[in-house]
Amino acid sequence: MDTKARQPKLGLREKYRLLTRDLGWDPTYQTRETLYPYAEYEGIKIHDWDKWEDPFRLTMDAYWKYQSEKDRKFYAILDAHAQNNGHLNITDARYLSAIKLFLQAISPGEYTSHQGFSRAGRELPGVGTQVACQMQALDELRHAQTQIHALSNYNRFYNGFHAFVQQRDRMWYNSVPRSFFDDAMTGGPFEFVVAIAFAFEYVLTNLLFVPFMSGAAYNGDMSTVTFGFSAQSDEARHMTLGLESIKFLLEQDPANVPIVQGWLDKWFWRGLRLLSLVGTMMDYMLPKRVMSWAEAWNIYGEENGSALFKDLARYGIRKPKGWEDASKGRDHISHQFMLGLYQWSFGTAFHGWIPTDEEFAWLSEKYPDTFDRYYRPRWNELRKLAAAGTPFKNYGLPMLCQTCQLPCLFTEPDDPTTLCHREVEYKGERYHFCSSHCQEIFDHEPEKYVQAWLPMNQLTQGTSGGGGLENWMKYVNLVDGQDNGDFEGSQDQRNFAQWKHNSVSNQA
Amino acid sequence: MAIIARKPYDFPPADSVEHYHGDQLIYMCWGHHLMFAAPFMTMASPKTSFGEFLKTALEPIIALDPDAAKVDWTKVEWTRRGKAFKPALDKSLQDNGIVHKEYLRFDTPGLNTVCG
Amino acid sequence: MPIELRTITIEPLRNNYDHLEKRFGHKPASRYQEASYDIQPVENLHYRPTWDPDQTLYDPTLSRIRMRDWYDLKDPRQLYYGSYTQARARQQDTEEANFEFVESNGLVMLMTDALRQQALDLLVPLRHVAWGADQNNMMVCGYGYGTTFKQPCVFYALDQLGIAQYLSRLGLLLGGQDALVAGKQAWMEAPAWQDMRRYVEDVMAVRDPVEVFVAQDVVLDGLLYPLVYERLVDDLLAVQGGTAVSMLTQFMTRWGAETRRWSDSVVKTMAAESAENRAVLEEWITQWGQRAVAALAPLARPVAVDTTDALMTEQIAAFAGRAAKAGVTIKLEH
Repeated sequence: MDTKARQPKLGLREKYRLLTRDLGWDPTYQTRETLYPYAEYEGIKIHDWDKWEDPFRLTMDAYWKYQSEKDRKFYAILDAHAQNNGHLNITDARYLSAIKLFLQAISPGEYTSHQGFSRAGRELPGVGTQVACQMQALDELRHAQTQIHALSNYNRFYNGFHAFVQQRDRMWYNSVPRSFFDDAMTGGPFEFVVAIAFAFEYVLTNLLFVPFMSGAAYNGDMSTVTFGFSAQSDEARHMTLGLESIKFLLEQDPANVPIVQGWLDKWFWRGLRLLSLVGTMMDYMLPKRVMSWAEAWNIYGEENGSALFKDLARYGIRKPKGWEDASKGRDHISHQFMLGLYQWSFGTAFHGWIPTDEEFAWLSEKYPDTFDRYYRPRWNELRKLAAAGTPFKNYGLPMLCQTCQLPCLFTEPDDPTTLCHREVEYKGERYHFCSSHCQEIFDHEPEKYVQAWLPMNQLTQGTSGGGGLENWMKYVNLVDGQDNGDFEGSQDQRNFAQWKHNSVSNQA
Repeated sequence: MAIIARKPYDFPPADSVEHYHGDQLIYMCWGHHLMFAAPFMTMASPKTSFGEFLKTALEPIIALDPDAAKVDWTKVEWTRRGKAFKPALDKSLQDNGIVHKEYLRFDTPGLNTVCG
Repeated sequence: MPIELRTITIEPLRNNYDHLEKRFGHKPASRYQEASYDIQPVENLHYRPTWDPDQTLYDPTLSRIRMRDWYDLKDPRQLYYGSYTQARARQQDTEEANFEFVESNGLVMLMTDALRQQALDLLVPLRHVAWGADQNNMMVCGYGYGTTFKQPCVFYALDQLGIAQYLSRLGLLLGGQDALVAGKQAWMEAPAWQDMRRYVEDVMAVRDPVEVFVAQDVVLDGLLYPLVYERLVDDLLAVQGGTAVSMLTQFMTRWGAETRRWSDSVVKTMAAESAENRAVLEEWITQWGQRAVAALAPLARPVAVDTTDALMTEQIAAFAGRAAKAGVTIKLEH
């Protein structure tokens, strides 16, 4: 008896259905509510999980095969890079600050994302969605691990990489990404997916990914480039998951629309604030620039984002509330941030520096309306002070935003000469914000944000190592005089120059 | 708006005043002095006089700015919670009504270094 | 030793990241160590979960099992993402070749209808068990503590998805789509499967991540894989002319053996940590073990027939022996 002759050949779509969602069943020994306890409370209504579309139809055998091929190549290149002192091929040791920041701030986020998708992959009661989340959980673990591996060889030769684990939980500026991901994970599974898969991966990821990976390529960092290329197809899948989940939620019930809109407002702004780190890296930390933050925002934010939200308008979704202020800040945020990082560089596990003349010219060309008018004078002043042997080190602790946890260093959307400040009183306590949108996020869930572990507010309690700068440096594993401070005169600068020289001369 | 959670959700702030061993936090922003990238977080006892607080907690950290030496505290324009505010230099923080995590902005017209 | 082509040798400033030097000393670390140790956030967590404010975001107290250092629970296979996908890609190559061989040589046609039906009855509903195992392991990965303990669980979960997909393909190959429909019906309604389904659903209701790991990976799969794939399929069905089935489940047989090495070692380390842990493990393994035995016996009976009781006794002894090696004394009845 030939079974194949008896039954029609299955189409790909039908076969994939059988290999995934047909695995699920309606429980009878336990209630659905017991098995999926977190699926209802957010207020999202799903009537038919079968309406979920699987854009990739990736089965595990294909996943293993494809991913292992990518990883084999990745590790081969990494080994060669380590063996051949590939780190000497970077344009300049200042470049290292960008990847130090990446390892400290972004790689731990990949791991958190792995954890969040593991939970969502368990908690959402629809097999198709679960499988998509589970694969992303596995991918995110990959990203965390390949990044740690890619940067491991740099850590052997340069400062600032060695304590990324301790600094993930303790370093002041890392509480920005940490609180971002903690925020997403403490939300329900639907909010997590909208926050990370859609707002972050779909709307904003190009602003992170393209600059970082192109920046690596432009600056001769083969090991990061290799990671980037290797992760690209994963990212494409993740973006599709993001878009699919948002459309699915919006199509399931009109009551979902306002909830989703609220999450988009929140997570767009949360994400944008996080990406100000990236903008700063692009405009200031890459010795060889790829494009300016303003240009990236124009392409990946303004153009792509506008098209996307035009498309979502049919569901009743509008652009996130912070969009206009994001555009207004476009020509300012990276300068304001880098000025901060420079003056606080005694407390960062990467170096700051004053841009060169050539870089001034580039900044002034890319930011014709703002750089010469507002920021060049400040840099000139800093230069003067540095030349006089009295570099501007701001030992005053910065006030942090209760929501995004960045120092409140951004100016009013319509007045670049005034720092933006919002405050509220909640249950007798005062809370401060860097922007209207960070305040709105707080106002929406004050019970959550009052708990924020603000590094500066902890330091002054004496809980971060026992009080005082020296104890704090021990607490964050920061080696004073090596990891921190100005790039000029740093060990990284000296070593790189010496090794590079040795590699092209006949000196031993 | 209240948070949506599966169980009662109420936790104390991580930086309420009892964590500061008798001191309190005060945020200080110097208007139009953007060489300092962000407002400062300072700490003092609520019993400190406002003048003493300015001298011990604020002056040392703003001294980096060449304008700092020219500040006349009796002529400074203060803003608190969006309104003009006239603190008495000889009265304590507490008696001036400056609470924990209060944000004060001070403007020094005529002194505007490099930041317009 | 590779040939050094560069003209210069640079003395590194350090061999590894601080947290690894603290654990393993000043020597280069393996890729497994770099990828795994201490990479989960541990302190200064910002907010309580809205889904359960009684928990913290990474909460070691969700379990009755306590460890001074959860990173003692390492994976003897040293799998991290890269080595994991390499290993599975090779196994999947073999499995694909097996499917190809069975199909192209028409081996299914050599089986009697009765034998084929036996294989379908036994194996097709197991794809739902595998989907339960997938979800249970995502739970352990999501809420467990310490990457070396929970990273193997995300691998395990997606392995189980892979296994569910192989079982589905096996069903399609042996009986077409009808076989999957019949298998699901048996899973939902046939008396022989109800203890098993109840078991899987009950494990899904547990929110202690280590208990889920024990009930699913240690106990259920620890009994199921040797019984079903090594004994029922590889021995009993194969001798009756079901070699094809044995080829199609080779992935599962090898996977089970490989994975037990890991789960046994985790139990051993947990039990060695404290008498309290050992007592909890004994309680869990006994309770869930008793139920698993009861759920498995009716599945074995159509294949093993008269030898079922002997087979179960043998499997229980082997299982108890493995537990004893891990420091946990249990006694299960059949």
